[in-house]
Amino acid sequence: MATSRERGALTHPDVHKLSDVNRDILKILSRPGKGWWMLFGLAAAGVGLFLVSWGNQIVNGIGESGLNSPVGWGVYITTFVFWVGIAHSGTLISAILFLFRAPWRQSVYRAAEAMTVFAVMTAGLFPLIHVGRVWHAYWLFPYPNSRFLWPNFRSPLIWDVFAVTTYFTVSAVFFYLGTVPDVAAARDQATGLRKKLYQVISLGWQGTDRQWHHFGKAYIFLAALATPLVLSVHSVVSWDFAMSIVPGWHATIFAPYFVAGAIFSGVAMVITLAVPIRKVWGLEAYLTTKHFDALAKLCLLTSLIVLYAYLSEFFMAWYSGEEIERTAFWNRLFGDYWWATWTMLTCNGLVPVMLWFKRVRHSIPALFVISFFINIGMWFERYVIVVTSLHHEYEPFAWGIYRPSLTEMGIMVGSFAWFGFWFLLFTRLLPPVAIAELKEVLPPPLRKQSKEAH
Amino acid sequence: MTDGIKRRDFLKVLGVSGAGATLTACSTEKVERLLPYVTMPEDITPGVATWYTTVCDGCSAQCGMWVRTREGRAVKVEGNPDHPISGGALCSRGHASLQGLYDPDRIASPMVREGADFRSITWEEAEALLAQKLDEAGGRSLFIGGPLGPSMAGLVDDFMESVGGSRVEYEPLADAPLREAARIVFGVDSVPRFDIGEARFVLSFGADFLETWLSPVEYGKSFAKMSAVDDHGSKGRFVFAGPRLSLTGLNADEWVPIRAGSEAVVALAMAGIIAEDFGDAGPYAAMLAEYDVRRAAEVSGVSEDAIREMAHRFASEGPSLALGPGAAGHHRNATAANVAVMILNAVAGNVGRTIHFDAARGGSASRPYGDIESAIRAMASGGVGVAMVHGVNPAYSLPAASGFADAFASVGFKVSFASSMDETSAMADLVLPDRHFLESWGDTSPVSGVMAIRQPVMQPVPHFNSKQTGDVLLSVAGRMGRGMGAATFYDYLRNGHRRMHGSDAEFETAWRHALKKGVVVHDGGGQGAVPALRAPDTALAFGAPTLDGDGDLTLLVYPSSRFGAGEFSNSPWLQELPDPVSKITWHSWLEMNPHTAEAMALRDGDIVTVTSPHGSVDVPVWTYPGIREEAVGLALGGGHTGFGRYADGNGVNALALLPAETEQPSGALVTVATRVTITPTGEHRRMATVAGSDDQHDRPIAPAVALAALGHGGEHATEGGHGSGQHMELQGVGGFVPMAAPEEEVSDRFPMEGSRHGEYGDRENTARWVMAIDLDKCTGCSACVTACQAENNVPWVGEQQVVMGREMQWMRIERYYESVDATHAAPLDVRFLPMLCQHCGNAPCEPVCPVYATYHTPEGVNAQVYNRCVGTRYCANNCPYKVRVFNWYSYTDAVPEPMNWQWNPDVTVRENGVMEKCSFCMQRVREAENRAALEGGRDLRDGEIVTACQQSCPAEAIVFGNLRDPESRVAHVVANERTYRVLDDLINTQPSVNYLKKVTFHEVASGEHA
Amino acid sequence: MKKHWLMGGFVGVIALAAAAFVQEQDAPVAGGDSPAAYPSGQPIAFPHNQHAGSEPGQNNMDCMFCHFSAERSVDAGIPPVSTCMGCHAVIPGTQNPQEIDKLRNYATTQEPIPWVRVYKVSDHVHFPHMRHVNAGLQCQQCHGQVQEMTVLNSRAPEWGGDNMGWCVDCHRQSEASTDCSVCHY
Repeated sequence: MATSRERGALTHPDVHKLSDVNRDILKILSRPGKGWWMLFGLAAAGVGLFLVSWGNQIVNGIGESGLNSPVGWGVYITTFVFWVGIAHSGTLISAILFLFRAPWRQSVYRAAEAMTVFAVMTAGLFPLIHVGRVWHAYWLFPYPNSRFLWPNFRSPLIWDVFAVTTYFTVSAVFFYLGTVPDVAAARDQATGLRKKLYQVISLGWQGTDRQWHHFGKAYIFLAALATPLVLSVHSVVSWDFAMSIVPGWHATIFAPYFVAGAIFSGVAMVITLAVPIRKVWGLEAYLTTKHFDALAKLCLLTSLIVLYAYLSEFFMAWYSGEEIERTAFWNRLFGDYWWATWTMLTCNGLVPVMLWFKRVRHSIPALFVISFFINIGMWFERYVIVVTSLHHEYEPFAWGIYRPSLTEMGIMVGSFAWFGFWFLLFTRLLPPVAIAELKEVLPPPLRKQSKEAH
Repeated sequence: MTDGIKRRDFLKVLGVSGAGATLTACSTEKVERLLPYVTMPEDITPGVATWYTTVCDGCSAQCGMWVRTREGRAVKVEGNPDHPISGGALCSRGHASLQGLYDPDRIASPMVREGADFRSITWEEAEALLAQKLDEAGGRSLFIGGPLGPSMAGLVDDFMESVGGSRVEYEPLADAPLREAARIVFGVDSVPRFDIGEARFVLSFGADFLETWLSPVEYGKSFAKMSAVDDHGSKGRFVFAGPRLSLTGLNADEWVPIRAGSEAVVALAMAGIIAEDFGDAGPYAAMLAEYDVRRAAEVSGVSEDAIREMAHRFASEGPSLALGPGAAGHHRNATAANVAVMILNAVAGNVGRTIHFDAARGGSASRPYGDIESAIRAMASGGVGVAMVHGVNPAYSLPAASGFADAFASVGFKVSFASSMDETSAMADLVLPDRHFLESWGDTSPVSGVMAIRQPVMQPVPHFNSKQTGDVLLSVAGRMGRGMGAATFYDYLRNGHRRMHGSDAEFETAWRHALKKGVVVHDGGGQGAVPALRAPDTALAFGAPTLDGDGDLTLLVYPSSRFGAGEFSNSPWLQELPDPVSKITWHSWLEMNPHTAEAMALRDGDIVTVTSPHGSVDVPVWTYPGIREEAVGLALGGGHTGFGRYADGNGVNALALLPAETEQPSGALVTVATRVTITPTGEHRRMATVAGSDDQHDRPIAPAVALAALGHGGEHATEGGHGSGQHMELQGVGGFVPMAAPEEEVSDRFPMEGSRHGEYGDRENTARWVMAIDLDKCTGCSACVTACQAENNVPWVGEQQVVMGREMQWMRIERYYESVDATHAAPLDVRFLPMLCQHCGNAPCEPVCPVYATYHTPEGVNAQVYNRCVGTRYCANNCPYKVRVFNWYSYTDAVPEPMNWQWNPDVTVRENGVMEKCSFCMQRVREAENRAALEGGRDLRDGEIVTACQQSCPAEAIVFGNLRDPESRVAHVVANERTYRVLDDLINTQPSVNYLKKVTFHEVASGEHA
Repeated sequence: MKKHWLMGGFVGVIALAAAAFVQEQDAPVAGGDSPAAYPSGQPIAFPHNQHAGSEPGQNNMDCMFCHFSAERSVDAGIPPVSTCMGCHAVIPGTQNPQEIDKLRNYATTQEPIPWVRVYKVSDHVHFPHMRHVNAGLQCQQCHGQVQEMTVLNSRAPEWGGDNMGWCVDCHRQSEASTDCSVCHY
């Protein structure tokens, strides 16, 4: 008992037998609550908005956005980086914490992984959305063609293509593999069409020792494979900026800075999603304050790293003595976009300070609110980096102002709906909490009784 | 050649040319037709450009033109190098004449009024009707027209004589006071020739000779000659005296901000000082005594010392030249002011040195506004039966208060010979669409001794059933039984010139020669002798002119350097061309000194109501340090109501604020006549400006060097560039090597590191294209911008898009203030910098493009492959010069017929979603290569390839060529000690565009930079 | 049975990829000269083989007799009606005189013949005929065996059309420049 507790075992009055776990988790799948339908309707509407806005832009031209010269990138790239960032914590929680055997991950990692996959799916759309001729976007992929033309492998955008596609593939497979045993469990209870579906997805899982053995092996390998991606993907994304000569982009600190930021925003998003899930489906038994405490600590850590990065950026701008660099950062703080910068600093630097306090970390509502602030702050961080750097560049006569258009806003908001759309589907179709792994960490006494359960 | 024109029916070859077809990505199922000639004109090869000479009719300067036609369509106009006036250059308005030719708002056919609107009729009916009406009018007819060429003027006069009536010449911005002054002072009834190039000290009392005054292109050339650093390391000085800095003013070395209307007293005071120290004032001695320096200082608002110093320099730094106020300074004493300036010139002994009376400006001796005034009276009193208006738009270009509209309306039968509808023709009963000057015959002699034939360069644009006015008059005269010995104006023209020659054969050769060369120069008829001063005209008042109204701000109305008095306003090129001073496009603005604006708590873009005793307009404020605190400036040319889709509704018409009053005795329209009050409306607008910051923030963008700091010898002294510190510094940067360096060293440096990627052929014998731009010569006139737009199918985007920051010109003239001070404390220093793609050897845009849409060619050009571009815009983000422009929409789709006929078939028309930028006129390079290949594969000659911007530059500030060729002109220019490359020291982009620093008289802060 | 699902998926994906690749191979980019559009949509059934063919009874004319500017201009040139009439004023035409009558009709009415364009490269490609002709290329190398065709076919085996790879191949073999800006500007 004691040992299992150290291993982060679950103890909860309602959970007596392993079958209870199946009961609690699987009931989520069975019950299409009114709330879910409302949310789903909302998401669907948002997706509609998203498609209409994008369609309009494709038909009429990228001019439907507010972009201009000198600000050639704006809300689209901002949102792209935001979603790639969101993706990260998923892999972090599921893969890295798995390798490190962090016991508290079991109950959150499924949702986190799903989040990763859907976030990358969302992020992946934005490079397409922001190019001028989306019908030629496939030119960015290296494929044999009669023109003897290859993409320019020196371009960070090409690295991006590889990074994001790789990341999507790996995290998707990792996610899918993880669900197999649970889907099997669901299959055994489901009926009709749903059963057919689960049969396909669960790949004929029987829960035999051999299968468990292979499963474990594969899972570890994939975890090991996914882990470096957490670092590489966002480093590459950061190089989209760092590799340029734009004052405010061209900085060596970008890679670690972006990775930290990514995890920061990702974990915040996990909290934002986990809180309602826990409430709606009554998972208090499996998502306890100790989980949230751990997540909050992770937030705190990464927020400190990010804050450090901000400060060092400003310091280096001053210390370098490079006039143009200095102007750029001065303009960042007090220029036309000061409001964005200060929003970013407040949300990402100031608000998380509250996480130092245990009381805050243990208050679910407080965490929920804070996580929202962090999400907003991290979106603005990217906005600040992209826009304020571009609008005041080298050539003073070419300085300009950028104002996002309705189309851009529609697409940005729509992307959240798109994400939510998939996530809601996920919660209805796949067990949002890893049943099998929960069982692993149940206290030993239950194990005996569980014999007859399975 | 004329035969060629007669026989060419270009409608039938449209299919052959690639122009007009846009770069479409998805395949369309349209079936394309190929239309061959029925009979092949011998002077045309499909795909090969044919050039014709003609004469620009944009303004009274009458520059010589070369017109490039492809398959019978005029696609580009350029200056005629053989022409003594334009000397090969052309201004923006000249380039835009093409859009006048293809203006979709031109009139499709003759029209007669039926009630409120018009009905199309045939020329037959139209001419019959006109003949009948003229008969009925019985000698009470009136012909109002602009300045006409000799033959046309003769024809019209004959015609009016035969039908009974008179011709009134009307030119909105005629420099009548100048001409009148010449008559008063020298008894010569013509505008003398001002030799700016000869002068070493030019003093302009508000004469905008680089924009609108007399002959801008010609003066642009001579000004460059005057202000360039000569072999002795000295350069001419230019002082601008006036209440507002026009573009011309911004090019001055010093600004003496005298009050509006104080030119006369200042000039006289200077003359007095000079007379004391150096010789006599002749008959004017007595008069000069009255106007001493103290009085001048009081009236003008500048210190006595300033005036004294100016006077001393004017006398000592000679040969000097003073220029009187032009249309921008026509106050109620404009003639007096011009007289005073002439006296100053006379006293300083400039007559015969920098002012010549040979090759004087001919034209008519009319009193432009005076005549129209009497004409209005005649019309109002019902004394006119038929009023014909040709080539002018008085209903717009006269102040509302002149009552022209009512008077004209009251005439029984009104005829308009306009080529496109305007405010005047809208009132007419009969509209007879005239030909555009590029479609018509004519002759011109702007300056005595220079005669040019204007010939049609293409068949009339078929969308419009137009007919040349000359032909109309002749056939009408025929109908009325008053033959004039010629069936067509072409015959009439030839007959006229035939008389000047002995034999027919002689005439034919002369005629063909004239058409081929585009101009005939015979020594000027005008006398070269220096006319004696005449007795002073005591009637003149030299004091400050009276101003209407009791507002505290003086209104300065000035002709726009883009629209003149508004006759060019329907060209989208000109509408979108940033005003050379304010950098604002499309709409009007009110220039106001920052302090004045501050006092009234006004910011740029705040819309204010400007009220004068004569009217009021609402216009956004633009704060401008180059205008005196008690003055506000408003340009002409805006606020059209019935002129065309591009002109209407843009800006306000400044004339609404002016009195309908003539300056006496010249009879010119007064433009500086009233005070105004400013009342904020509380509204604000984002202005359609292309200017970011006016300050270069101490960045190495447009540096200058003090004349004293120059290693003496200027242009060619430091050939090979060795020895000067400036050059040593350059050598450190990106391995930049002047052409004096040994060949092999050069060849292994070019193309530079970072430009060696991609698959190239033999690199050794490729050219290395570079450009050199002399900022000391550049006046910011922006002719290059329009030329580039015309050559490269660069679309216009419209006011709203410019507001969003999406203007697409491949060139922009950056305008940085170093010191512009209305208090006359600091020396004037404004930097103009033509910014175009720098074709960096180490280009930041190249590595970031994911698909190699932009890359480096073996010739060192940074190429942009439109059809490969996906539109990530990363290249534009990474371009430190911000010279890449993006097609946010398919702007070219919006171009209406027949304006798209102007498109250059040699340049791809870009579609929605692709990046574009300056290509160093790659099509011209290829054309030259093809030519060379056809001529036995010879090498390209230096100067064979001339970029569009270089071609149109009056100051010849731009040089393009092959840096690999040590003998090339560009190699010599680049070797100059003033050479630098923008931002190169900072970010090592190794640009191919080399700039030569501006040279100032004053010490420049921190030598190298700003 | 579940394996079949997977198999099907894989096959499908591969098929799609292959399709995309083939589509890429030669997608006509602009200008709608799809061969189907007009096998004989020409205003006059002009038999190239009859004029340029070298078979007995054919006239073996040089291409540049009619396409006069191919060696001195970027455009090859379409013969003016007068050129046709130069011969057909006297030659009635043996096989189908009614076509010649059409021609005469155009000549008398002074109307241009609205030929349907067969060979076309995209508007973003600049193809200077004279450079290629003077480099010794045969017309057939690009246009196919025109002298053997009655009806021109823009998909004749030799015709490269908008297939850039085809251009590049030749440029490489003949060591002509493969710099993009040679054709694209």
